[in-house]
Amino acid sequence: MPETVELGFAVNGRPATVRVEPRETIADVLRERLGLTGLKVSCDAQVCGACTVLVDGLAVSGCTYLAIDADGRTVATVEGLATDDRLSPLQQAFIDEAAFQCGFCTPGMLMAATALLAENPTPTRDEVVAAIDGNLCRCTGYVPIVEAILRAAKAAR
Amino acid sequence: MIPRFAHARPGSFDEAFAAFDAAGGDAAWYAGGTELLQVMKMGLARFGTLIDLKGIAGLAGIAGDDAGGLVIGGTATHREIERSPVVHAVAPALAALAAQVANPRVRNQGTLGGNLCFAEPHSDPATFLLAAGARLDLRGRSGRREVAIDEFLVGPFATTRAADEILAAVLVPAAAPGEGRAYEKIVFRERPAVSVAVRVRVADGAIVEARVVVGSMTDVPAVVAGAGAALAGSSADGGIAEDSLTAAAEALARLPAEDDLDGSADYKRHLAGVLFRRAVRAAVSEALARA
Repeated sequence: MPETVELGFAVNGRPATVRVEPRETIADVLRERLGLTGLKVSCDAQVCGACTVLVDGLAVSGCTYLAIDADGRTVATVEGLATDDRLSPLQQAFIDEAAFQCGFCTPGMLMAATALLAENPTPTRDEVVAAIDGNLCRCTGYVPIVEAILRAAKAAR
Repeated sequence: MIPRFAHARPGSFDEAFAAFDAAGGDAAWYAGGTELLQVMKMGLARFGTLIDLKGIAGLAGIAGDDAGGLVIGGTATHREIERSPVVHAVAPALAALAAQVANPRVRNQGTLGGNLCFAEPHSDPATFLLAAGARLDLRGRSGRREVAIDEFLVGPFATTRAADEILAAVLVPAAAPGEGRAYEKIVFRERPAVSVAVRVRVADGAIVEARVVVGSMTDVPAVVAGAGAALAGSSADGGIAEDSLTAAAEALARLPAEDDLDGSADYKRHLAGVLFRRAVRAAVSEALARA
């Protein structure tokens, strides 16, 4: 029997308890155990950002972050952005700016932007670009994504 | 998927060494995992146990030392270095470098200690720390030893750290009066294609000493003694002498290089020359401000 460890953490504000092997990543646990399939595993090498989730408010690559390191922490995924049936202002701004086409990168983009706006509610364009440096999009082009994040920041003022 | 391993999380150095022994030596220290987990996924490394160092309080954090230098804990992340007021005050070029490592997620997770112990030839901090004359605080069962980073990095993915030694802290000396340090790089993918770090000391309006290090082109960042020597004696406050820059650039052009995905050998040597000029200007500017 492989070694397993029981972990407890808060996912999108709700407590979760899971028993995992040390080698399991937070992406594995969120997607396969908790049914939170918003984050995508794409490059599996911390390059593309499709698996971006927040741990204690900081963006990490879910593909290369051991679930065991989230024990006792708070985890935020794209599923936690909307409240009831209302999209968050950031999500709405992505729609208003047509900031996605296929949508595969969008959960990661949204979480990278969420981390940015929590820390810096009034980012400059350069700061937005720096925050999503490392989140790759291969269809929209980055301009509408940057516009959407700036629009959400402006709407929150 | 990452190959199966056992996990330990010691709270002290003694517990860490005990965990290493309990694993029969088939263990690796683990902190951010941005390098280690990646090579394990790729099947390039396999360890029976990962020993998480993040529970050891003495490895965390960044502080100033008695001589005005920095003591950067082995598990300090790139993000922590980027945002540390004491790093900004003592080594602003290092704070700026940390803000540009890989991407924000890697900076949130990856540690300076892990970066240096992994010894990737394209490491950002290794190149700068060689120019700055950093020393490393290593802890083993028999106690503490301190090595210059020049004696730590010995090859691609190879250091003089014993498998059961822990990199406890990176010691970055304060810039002396009249000293300035700078780092410049160009990146096409995740890691630098070429990077250059320069440390200069200026006195009476002239460069009296210079150290030039080129990263990413060779197995370990290369200290280019000829380039440093060429700068010594040049004017500083009225612009750097063109013949000194040319002589230094000639030394850089003799660096070994290979064609790879970052470009041809000749192109990389060209980039080294461009980055060198930028780095010298920035280092001299800092040096004059500290003179």
